[in-house]
Formats: sequence, C-alpha cells, structure tokens
Amino acid sequence: MKSFVDSVVQWSRFQRNRNIVIQAVFLFFVTLLGVYFFVRASGLELSLSHFSSRAGFGLSHTFLVDYTSNDSRWVAYFTGVVNTIRVCLVAIFLTTLLGTVMGVARLSKNFLTSKIAWTYVEVLRNTPLLIQIIFWQIVFLQLPQISEAITFGDTTAISNRGILLPWISDNGNAQIWFIFLGIVAAGSLYLSYFLNKREDVSGKSFSIFGNRLNGNLVGISLFVIVTIVTYFAFGRPVSMDIPEIAQNNKGTWMQSGGFDLSPEFAAILFALVIYTGTFITEIVRGSIQSLSKGQTEAAQAIGLSKYQAMTLVILPQALRSIIPPLTNQFLNLTKNSSLAVVIAYPDLFMVSRTIMNNSGHALPVFFLILLTYLFLSLCISLVMNLINRRVTRIGA
Amino acid sequence: MTTPKINFKGMRDWTIDNFFGSKLGILLTVFSTIVITYFIVSMVSFLSSAEWEVVNTNRRLLLLGRLPEEDTWRAWPILWLFCSIFCSSIGAWGNPKKRELLLLLLAFLMPTAIFFSSTYIVHILATILIGSVAYISSKIIRRTSYIEILKKALISLWILIIPLSFAILIVGDGPQSNLWGGFLLNILLASVAVVAGFPLGILMAVGRATKLPVIKTVCTVYIETVRGAPLVGWLLLAWFVLPKFLPDLFGLNDLSVVIRAMIVLSFFASAYIAEVIRGGLQSISKGQLEAADALNLGYIDRMRIIVLPQAIRVVIPAIVSQFIGLFKDTSLVFILALTDLLQVGRIIPEQDPKFFGKQLEALLVVASLFWVVSVVLSNLSSKIEKNLGIGTR
Repeated sequence: MKSFVDSVVQWSRFQRNRNIVIQAVFLFFVTLLGVYFFVRASGLELSLSHFSSRAGFGLSHTFLVDYTSNDSRWVAYFTGVVNTIRVCLVAIFLTTLLGTVMGVARLSKNFLTSKIAWTYVEVLRNTPLLIQIIFWQIVFLQLPQISEAITFGDTTAISNRGILLPWISDNGNAQIWFIFLGIVAAGSLYLSYFLNKREDVSGKSFSIFGNRLNGNLVGISLFVIVTIVTYFAFGRPVSMDIPEIAQNNKGTWMQSGGFDLSPEFAAILFALVIYTGTFITEIVRGSIQSLSKGQTEAAQAIGLSKYQAMTLVILPQALRSIIPPLTNQFLNLTKNSSLAVVIAYPDLFMVSRTIMNNSGHALPVFFLILLTYLFLSLCISLVMNLINRRVTRIGA
Repeated sequence: MTTPKINFKGMRDWTIDNFFGSKLGILLTVFSTIVITYFIVSMVSFLSSAEWEVVNTNRRLLLLGRLPEEDTWRAWPILWLFCSIFCSSIGAWGNPKKRELLLLLLAFLMPTAIFFSSTYIVHILATILIGSVAYISSKIIRRTSYIEILKKALISLWILIIPLSFAILIVGDGPQSNLWGGFLLNILLASVAVVAGFPLGILMAVGRATKLPVIKTVCTVYIETVRGAPLVGWLLLAWFVLPKFLPDLFGLNDLSVVIRAMIVLSFFASAYIAEVIRGGLQSISKGQLEAADALNLGYIDRMRIIVLPQAIRVVIPAIVSQFIGLFKDTSLVFILALTDLLQVGRIIPEQDPKFFGKQLEALLVVASLFWVVSVVLSNLSSKIEKNLGIGTR
C-alpha cells in the first residue's frame, strides 16, 4: 500500500507537475503583491470622474481642438494628445529624412561630407536630449525682436515670437476638397501600382497615342490633373495665407496670418529631429554596410549611376534590416516628446501633469498617461509592421 | 589566389578622388565647405564673445550641487576610489594603445581644467598619482599568477563601489541626501540604477525566456509596461504615489526624493536591461543547451553555469550603452526638483543679474561634461566588444 507521501513523491517526479507547483507559488506571491498594492490604493481616489469638471487653465498651443479654460479636463487632455501626435508625426517624418541623408553621407567617398556626418553623430548622440531642447529654446528666444524681424520678402518672418511661414487658408469647402484629394491620391497610387504590376507580369505597358508611359508617371499626372481641375471646380477652396507683421494703433507689434511655428514647438521639434536623427544615421549606415560589396559592384556592372545604385539597389535591400530598429527609434521619439514639459509646450504629458497638480489624484491620471503612450506606441508598431511586411516580401 | 596589388595613390590623386571625382563630388565638396565654414564662424563668434565667469563662480554648485562647504571633502575619496578601480581595471584587462591612454587622460583633464582651482591642486595631483600607480601596479601583477585574484577582487570592487560611495557620503554626520546634487548626483543615480537594476533585469529576462506561461506573462507585462511609459512619467510617480505604496516600517514612506528617484530609476533600468539580456540569451547556440542536458544539469544549474555567463558576456557592450542612455536620462530628475548638473546649469545664470543672458555658456559646459563621460564610455564599450570578439566569430 502506497502512503500519501509516496504518491506525492511519485507525482513530483514529472516535470509537468513540478512546473505547475512552481507557477502556483509564483502566482501566489504576485497576487500577494497585487493585493498589497490594491489595499494601499484603495485609500486613493481611483476614478477619472474629476475629468469632466472645468479645467481652469489655458494652453498656449491648441491645434484642431478649440480649447478654452472653461472646457472640461477631458478637452484639455485631448488638446495635449493632439499636440503630442502633431509634434511626433512631423518629427518622425523629418528625422527619417535627416537620418537617411546623414547615413548615406557618412559612407560618402567625399572626405568632408563623411566627416560632417561623423561629427554630427558623435557630438549630438552623446549629449542628453534635454540639453538639446533647452539649447534650441535659448536659440529661438535669442532671435531678434518682432520689430526687427528677419523677413524674406513677404513669405517668411523670423522673430523671437516664432517663425511665420506661408500657409494655406480655408475659403469654405477646403475640408471636403482635402478628403476628396485623399481619395484621389489613394486611387492614383493604386493605379500606378496596378500598371507597374501588369507591366512586370505581362509586359503590356500603358500607352497614349503610341507613347509608352510608366505607371508612376500615369499615377502622378492623374493626381496633378484632378487636383488642378477640382481646385477650380470646387470654387478655389484654398488660397495662400501670407504672414503679416504690423503695428496696431497702440504701437504694439502684431503678427497675423501664415503658419506660426512657435519657439516652443520649433525647439522640441528641432531637438527631437536632430537627436533621433543621430541614431537613425547609425542604423542606416550599419544596414548599408552589412550588405555585401557585391551589390554595389553589380549595380555598377549593369551601368547604374551612383544615385540609381543607391535608390534602386542598396536602399531597398538595406530597408529590410533598417525597419525594425527604426521602429524602436520612433517609439523612443514618441516617449521622448514628453520632455516638452521642460519648455512648457503643452503636450499630453504636461497637460496631464497640470491636471495631476490641480486635482491631487495622481494615480488614475498616471494610468491614463501610461495607456495613451502605450496606445500611441501600438499605432506606430502596427504601421511599421505593415511596412516591414511589405519590404521583407521577397520579389515585391 | 593572390591578393591584388594596392595601387598607392599620391596626395594629388587622393585629393582629386575625394573632392572633385565627379559632378556630385564637386557639389558635395562645395556644400560641405559652406556648412563647415558656417559652423566654424559661428563657433568662433560665440567663443570670442563668451564670458565664462558664470561657470567659474559656480564650479562647486555644478559638480556637487548644494552639498555644504564642510562636506566637500567627501567627493575626493569617491573620485580616488573610482579612479584607482578604473585604472587598475584597464591595467588588468585592457590593452590600451598609447593614443587611447592619452585620450583618456585628456578626457579626464578637460573637466578638471574647467574646474581647476589652486586650492585643490594637491587633490588633483593625488588623483593622477593614484590612477597611474593603480594602472602600473596591475600591469605588473598581470605578469604574475596573482592576476586572477586581482580580477576577482576588481569585479567585486566594481559592485562594492556604490555602497562604498554611499558610506563615504553618509559616514560621520554626512549631509542629508536631498542636498546631494550636481554632477555627483547624475553619476550616483545612473550607477545605482544600473547596479540595482541588473539582478532584477536578469531575473526578468530569464523569466521571459522560460516556457512556463504564468511566469512568462508576468515578466513580459512588467517589461513592456515599464518600457511603455516615458521616464519622466515614472519619476512623477515617484513624486506623487510611491510614498503611499511603501510600508510604514523603518520610515520607508518618508524617503527623501533622491532615494525615491533611485528606486524608480532602478526599476526602469531593469526593464531595459532585461531586454538586452534576453537578446544575449537568444544568441546562445542550441548546442550549449544540449551539452548542459547531456551533463544532466538542472534548470538552475544550466542557467547559472552554462547560459547566463555566456549571455551576459555577449551583452556587456549593450549594457554599457544602456548605462550611457540612463546617464543621459538622469538629467530628467528636474521633474522632481532635484538639482542635478543640468538643473544647476539652468539656474545659475538667473541667480545673479550680472550673469543674465549667459545661459549658453553654462549649458555648453554642462553639455561637454555629459558628452565626455558618454564618449569615454562608448569608446570603452566598443573596445570591450572587440576584446570579446563579438561579431568576429
């Protein structure tokens, strides 16, 4: 007759059973920790109900959202989210451009060019981002006063109140026009993709009056023609908005019109673009160097110019190893944009901190911050994974 | 196979090839020259108008923050300790060329030159003396069989340096921890975070790599959550919430802000270190695991003896990079109203009317201090990478 102890020993001989015990013990301790935190947190206010009350603070930058201090905290919060997304999208676009150019320049045969890229990386990668943000803020605030603004004709005005750029203004139905243009752009993209694919597969090419046309050309010209035609068809929905600087009757200088690149926005944008650009430079350089030299030589052998070899042979292949670390850098950039708080650019983090201070309920607001950043990261990862799937598809 | 003869190019050919080889080359040369000239001109015009008085007056603030005058001496033993361990480590492991030693000396001398004053000339000379004695003596020991003991001692000293520095700062009625500041605070925060985050990082990485679903999920959730929010967010949590979550024992819920920042930074670092180590774990070849199985090692022994030593060895350079990143990120403690180096650099031009508008000078000195440490460390990391032979196997 087997005793109880014997059967337990027998049972514990199986790794599967032992794993269950280990995990049960682990789960027990984790739950204990969780319960401890829960008990501690139960004394705190955990709901976000205070978010529907009046915010009571003004924000210097509002974009798309018409926020006033009488709106609820939710509106303030979403203004912050929009501000974060705005700076991140622009910065991601520009930093990719800068990083790619610098990465290629780093490998240039031209001694001066490659040394510029090297210095750029070595100096700026090893300096904290926060210092760079503050540096750019100081630089933008040291620009001439508005009465002595630097102007380039009527197009741009640079002063310590910000950089005014020419922009477009809405004459009525601009929004419908933009949506329409978006659909047309998607259609033309698909058309050029379809024509290129058909030419690849069947060799049939699109031709008008006996002139063979490349798919890209067809797509672009379709888009341009439709844009011009609908611009007049919609009754000139947009017009040029020229920045203006003038003194009002009290003698104070006012700026109006145009796109106002405020010092805070410009500082955080410049710092994010330049700092993240150093990392992207290294990624691009590493990926290009990891390609075998035969690729460059093969491109030379079939008579491609250096530019063609770079854009048709090297970069498309390098993209495969560039995209995963690039995604990481984009995520870092998004999280780093929270440093805008140091120069009072009202991004998601700064607005949340203000709400935290005003309401005194830190924990739920913190979870909101966490979830928002996780959501933003998820969106970026999703888009980048789609792109990654596209570039890693063999023969695409 | 014969290697092709290298066609040696003269100076003239090199110049033409580099700068005027093609139309694009000429364009690039012209463009680069304009860029470089612009930068040199603006640097010269800045430096010629810069006044360094603002830095000169506030040197002690920049280095030590609000550490009281009578406690300034505590900084020197820490520097000497660090210097001796660092130099003898170079002697024990490294094989530095003369050029690299010179660079290291320059990197050390630059901040010293900024902060040089006649009161401390003895201290600085002592630092250099201690460094060179440590370097030379470990070079000599390296020829004998005692080197293995020295190496072990050095490794334990590297881990002990944090508690030792704390001890030096606290011993005999030391200043309160919220008076620590300046460059000292940045270095302390980053070192504590990495050293304390390292064990937790290993545990998390191993946990994430196991096949046990519960442990794996918990570790993954921990790592991804910590990495999901920006560091300023976590530091804000240290400010507002952490005291409410610590037990009432031993005055734990009354910790100073510096210690709270250290706790948060350690947890933050552990998540990033875990990801780095996970990369190392994945690089272990399957044959190693099978060899461990063949020796009938259990899971713990397999990890302890076979897997982890190899994995950690591979990721040492990556961990140094993490340290650099964290070191740069310690400037974010401004959100906790701590006076770290950058914060001091921002405050000092506003303290005295005669320093108004001298922010750039202060910022430049602060930036160069951060820069020197980061560059020395990143060179060290690539040196270690070469020594370990990663990527060449």
